[in-house]
Amino acid sequence: MPSAVAESFPVTLTDDAGRELVLDASPRRIVSLAPSNTEIVCALGACDRLVGVTDFDDFPPEVVDVDAVVIAASVDVELVIAAEPDLILAAGNELTPSAVIEQLDTLELPVLILYPATLDEVYADIELIGAALDRRSEAAELVNGMEGRVADVVAAVEGVERPLTLYEVFHAEGTTYTAGEGSFLASLLDLAGATPLTGDAQGVIGAEDLVAADPELILLGTASYDPSLSDSEAALEAVRARAGWADLSAVRDGEVIPYLDDIVTTRPGPRIVDGLEALARAIHPDSFE
Amino acid sequence: MSATTVARPIAFGPSPGRTTLVLGGGTALVVIAAGAALVSGTSGISIGDAVAILLHQLTGIGPVTWPSSTETIVWELRLPRIVAGMVVGAGLACAGTVFQALLRNPMADPYIIGPAAGASLGAVTALLLVPVASVGWLGIGLVQFFAFAGGLVTVLVVFLIARGRGGTPAVTLLLAGYAVSSLLSAGVALLIFNSGERLAAVISWLLGSLAGASWPRVAFAAPLIVISFSLLLLRWRRLNALLLGEAQAAHLGVDVEREKRILTGLAALSTSAGVAISGTIGFVGLVVPHLVRLAIGPDHRLLLPASMLYGAGLLVLADLGARLAGGIPVGVVTALIGAPFFLWLLRRNVVGVRVGR
Repeated sequence: MPSAVAESFPVTLTDDAGRELVLDASPRRIVSLAPSNTEIVCALGACDRLVGVTDFDDFPPEVVDVDAVVIAASVDVELVIAAEPDLILAAGNELTPSAVIEQLDTLELPVLILYPATLDEVYADIELIGAALDRRSEAAELVNGMEGRVADVVAAVEGVERPLTLYEVFHAEGTTYTAGEGSFLASLLDLAGATPLTGDAQGVIGAEDLVAADPELILLGTASYDPSLSDSEAALEAVRARAGWADLSAVRDGEVIPYLDDIVTTRPGPRIVDGLEALARAIHPDSFE
Repeated sequence: MSATTVARPIAFGPSPGRTTLVLGGGTALVVIAAGAALVSGTSGISIGDAVAILLHQLTGIGPVTWPSSTETIVWELRLPRIVAGMVVGAGLACAGTVFQALLRNPMADPYIIGPAAGASLGAVTALLLVPVASVGWLGIGLVQFFAFAGGLVTVLVVFLIARGRGGTPAVTLLLAGYAVSSLLSAGVALLIFNSGERLAAVISWLLGSLAGASWPRVAFAAPLIVISFSLLLLRWRRLNALLLGEAQAAHLGVDVEREKRILTGLAALSTSAGVAISGTIGFVGLVVPHLVRLAIGPDHRLLLPASMLYGAGLLVLADLGARLAGGIPVGVVTALIGAPFFLWLLRRNVVGVRVGR
């Protein structure tokens, strides 16, 4: 018997929903119901243990070949069970629907719900999965590296002017979704040297509030998914055409940036630091030359 | 009392051959739908394994040659979902039949006097009250219990509002149901607006689905629906009499007001039990009674069991379609398949759709 295994297991884990799960051995067949969970598993060198992922998974590239059990954002419970998982990594906040979690609980399947809302919670989730996979030292090393890179970003933007920044998550019919008040995205913008213009808890900001706040910089996260916005000139024209936007300081000064790294910026896995760096570079290009 | 009176002969009852055909066809539909749903799915379980697991679970015979995950999929996912589909479909069709007769209104469906709005308000309230899924509350979950209670209480309130000194006129019942539903729907809309990150859970409940079916939920709803159906079937003569009109039914010796209370209560029980475990699924409760009535006429002794069979079979089939189409809402499938078929029947039957003779 390898002594390391005997020392680590059984292990009791507490997930982000406060639920306890006891693992008798390190799981060999893992189903990940969110791309961020997949990235953590792979970053800990356990990509080969994945037996089910989502059809949205794209990183690292080899996970594209793993069978999808989440198709078009809907969890196919039958496929989850057919994959015979000994650990299911779900997402919180209804990203994995609570009805599905309830069903998996009823079938007494081992589920961990991960929903990090801050960088510290991303670190904690990496360590949680590290404990589950018997990869604690790898997890600690990964977190260390991330913390170091975050510190570098913070140092690089120290003392700079912090523009009032609107990060556009989504825009439709006069309603703009941006970083929610107290949200993960707002905290990243803050670390990247911006003053985030936040909406309500869901990130909604009405047209009047937006005009009154008058952002100095607009990052179009939507450009990551809408090719028509990926060109700076086209993006500026598009937002200028919206009612009331032409008078915003950011639009008048041409400070409208198509932001193409939305996926890594909003996916709370190991690459969230890539997202933070991309944000900081977009907001303060001069500090990263 | 007999449905056929000397004073007013009623052409009730199709030929025996047609009756056998319709009831036999309904039974065959249920069996075929259930069989197809048992052996179909996304995980590629062979038909042989699915059948063998069913036999093994029911009788204990046969060696276990399949992985336990396969057994879980067949026995814990597919079968409860099939049984839930049967029970809910039967309950909705049965309640629709009763409301169409009671209100003498071809537009009547199980939700017409408010149980859907009440159940929705109950379920959405529960969804927003509890931050995470609460498994096993009262055996079925808090959301399901709130939906059930919401549906029943709403019908009770509507009935009490509509009841006047001279009885409970069908029109008043309809209008009171409409008004109360509108009020409750406003409440649901307000909750949706404020549901924040729970929006997805709220919407998926409101759209109606059998995806959450489990044995405990079936064990909750099935007895209620079976009891409701049995008691309704026992009242087939009175339902037939009501088709003639309330005054005529009273002349035939039916205590019309008492009957209204009992029938409404039983139909509401069946509807609320179904809604509790599946959310609101449209069209089945409206169309199936009409289809069956077109085929075999309005005699409730046949109409109720036949509607039950076709409601059960069609909902299981529609849910299979929804499941194989990537988990789309089953109500979409019932409407997509049911509406064109219903329109074709309407055009084909120049007599049109009537509730009575």
